[in-house]
Amino acid sequence: MLLDEFFDPKILIVSGKGGVGKTTVSAALAIMAAKAGHRVCIAEVDEKGTLPAIFGSEGLGYEPSKMCPGIWGLRIIPEESLAEYLRVQYHMKRISKAFTSTHFVDYITTAAPGLKDILILGKIWYLEQERTTKERFDTIVVDAPAAGHMLTFLSAPSGLSDALRVGPVRRQADWLVQMLRDPKRARVHLVTLPEEMPVSETLETTRALEERLEIAQGPLFANAVYSELFTPQEEKKLKGTIDRAALRTQGEAVGLALDDEDFDALFSYARFLRSRRSIQETHLRNLRAGTGEPVIELPFLFSAGLALPDVENLADVIEEKVEKL
Amino acid sequence: MSVVSDLVDRKEIIVCAGSGGVGKTTAAAAIGMHAATRGKKVAVLTIDPARRLASSLGLKELSNEPHRVSARKFSAAGLEAKGELYAMMLDTKTTFDQVVMKYAPSREQAEKIIGNRFYRNISSTLSGTQEYMAMERLYELHAEGGYDLIVIDTPPTRNALDFLDAPRRLTDFFESRVLRWFLIPYMKAGGGFMRVANVAAGTFLRIVKRIVGAEVLDDTAEFFGSLEGMYDGFKQRAREVAALLHSQVTSFVVITSPAEQSVAEATFFASRLDEAGLPFGALVVNRVHPRFGDRIEARPRQISKLEQGSAEARLLAKLLENEEAFMRVVELEERNLEGLARKIPRHRWVRVPYLEQEAVDFPGLAAIADQLFATTAPAVRR
Repeated sequence: MLLDEFFDPKILIVSGKGGVGKTTVSAALAIMAAKAGHRVCIAEVDEKGTLPAIFGSEGLGYEPSKMCPGIWGLRIIPEESLAEYLRVQYHMKRISKAFTSTHFVDYITTAAPGLKDILILGKIWYLEQERTTKERFDTIVVDAPAAGHMLTFLSAPSGLSDALRVGPVRRQADWLVQMLRDPKRARVHLVTLPEEMPVSETLETTRALEERLEIAQGPLFANAVYSELFTPQEEKKLKGTIDRAALRTQGEAVGLALDDEDFDALFSYARFLRSRRSIQETHLRNLRAGTGEPVIELPFLFSAGLALPDVENLADVIEEKVEKL
Repeated sequence: MSVVSDLVDRKEIIVCAGSGGVGKTTAAAAIGMHAATRGKKVAVLTIDPARRLASSLGLKELSNEPHRVSARKFSAAGLEAKGELYAMMLDTKTTFDQVVMKYAPSREQAEKIIGNRFYRNISSTLSGTQEYMAMERLYELHAEGGYDLIVIDTPPTRNALDFLDAPRRLTDFFESRVLRWFLIPYMKAGGGFMRVANVAAGTFLRIVKRIVGAEVLDDTAEFFGSLEGMYDGFKQRAREVAALLHSQVTSFVVITSPAEQSVAEATFFASRLDEAGLPFGALVVNRVHPRFGDRIEARPRQISKLEQGSAEARLLAKLLENEEAFMRVVELEERNLEGLARKIPRHRWVRVPYLEQEAVDFPGLAAIADQLFATTAPAVRR
């Protein structure tokens, strides 16, 4: 797949169950797009997350702020989206505090479930349409809510559009539906871990996206996959009895003295890698079998994983794998 | 005896808390299983278990009622259930309905609330509801269930503390001044918001009506109207639940993985428990990469030489590379955990290493339980 093709839609929605590394993948995609010369905006949704920490910025506001060359970040807060909506829609200059209090937003979103999601998607629409900010972006990466919530998040506009027959809100919900259903404008990337629960939830989500919501998906990401370090022949050798003396001689030849304890440790780590890897493979197989989308495996990061250099490495890995698709 | 066995013997309630994806539900199930082998009548209240874990506990579908795990499951795993193990999943909506039934002054009013559309949306959309109902169900099980021990899993939230504030958040919401400011005049005016004396509230209502529609506004007004007179009941119950959580019968077990983010959250959580005066029991550090030996100091130059050698030499290079990579994780995890040691003394910890199998069936849970309740902590070479 060409990178241009990968970044063809302006909006990339990255989602997955909590703790699968969704934010890390979002950041890596943003870095990748910026490297390709795009002006990128990355949006954190609702809750405060770790995105600013990755880029070493203080925290994100409701308007995009520059985090590093080519990458801007913002945090979309429903309360502020509502205020912005009222400002733009009803030309209200001074907005009563009552409208933007958390209780009011809680009330209104309980009264009309999905409204909060529409307020968030509405902000993404504004960004896409370059309506309310001075900046214009080639790519908008959305670090979307966790997957359970994601289906409600993405189905909110069509739900509202069905519920309302006429009126301005109906029209606006339709705009969002069009945005989400146009594969040239938006695409969803699901992130998961090669573990039971994340995989089964991802498969449920991917089916719902396809069958119910008709929202286009890009490749899925399976995060934290242990490497296939040993060749099948080497695996076979490791499973049998190994001639320690022969290995010891090899070590000595390069000036490395290894004792029995060292060998115990070396073999234990190799066995550990193999057993974890085989558990992961079962889940990866299920994942591949259950989705029509390609699955990109991301390596288990043996270092901190949250620092910018790690994420930059990850971006390189993704780029390489995308080009091979 | 491990710090967790001590809790199982002495406490009536164990709350498992931590951020998502750290194995909270599995730990809760393993604790329950172990308690049953020690002769306790124990209930495990799970929130959102993985399907295979649920089926290993014999839970096929969502059920708010305790379901007994058969003694045969224990014997098949080589264990003896001296007590009884019950498992259940939280059904937020049903629990909420029961709460309404309990506090409504009449059956008629309760039914009116339960049939209301705004009410029906609450249990699926209003954040904090699930947490509140988990606490409510816990309280009820403790008061009426006749269990020796209840182990409860907490909802997966980004912020592990949410459930502590949930009851208050929900009662605040019901009593919100904003809502009363515009809804009560609306109701008094019989839905005719144009006649509302308060001009600001009138404008406000007009816009809300434009956004959500008149029907929704009517539902909402009806809901808050029928809730009148029930607030005190809600608040009283929230106070009782809080008192139970603060009492000596309860203990909090904080579950974390050694990953930076969940350690940060566990640290924060432990200090919040402390501030709130809630009884902290133990820290479970789950999914720790095992340490198999001291670091082998192989220099990159030596490894690259091996890489160019025979098949044997290349295998050794890979073994060294693999060891080096795992040592980096092990050391990183140890560094992450050091900060936690300053908050929670190490004698309150239990480390559960990554096992070579997944804890998705009964024997898998037993293996986790073995680690949690090991008589001696697994040796960690430093």
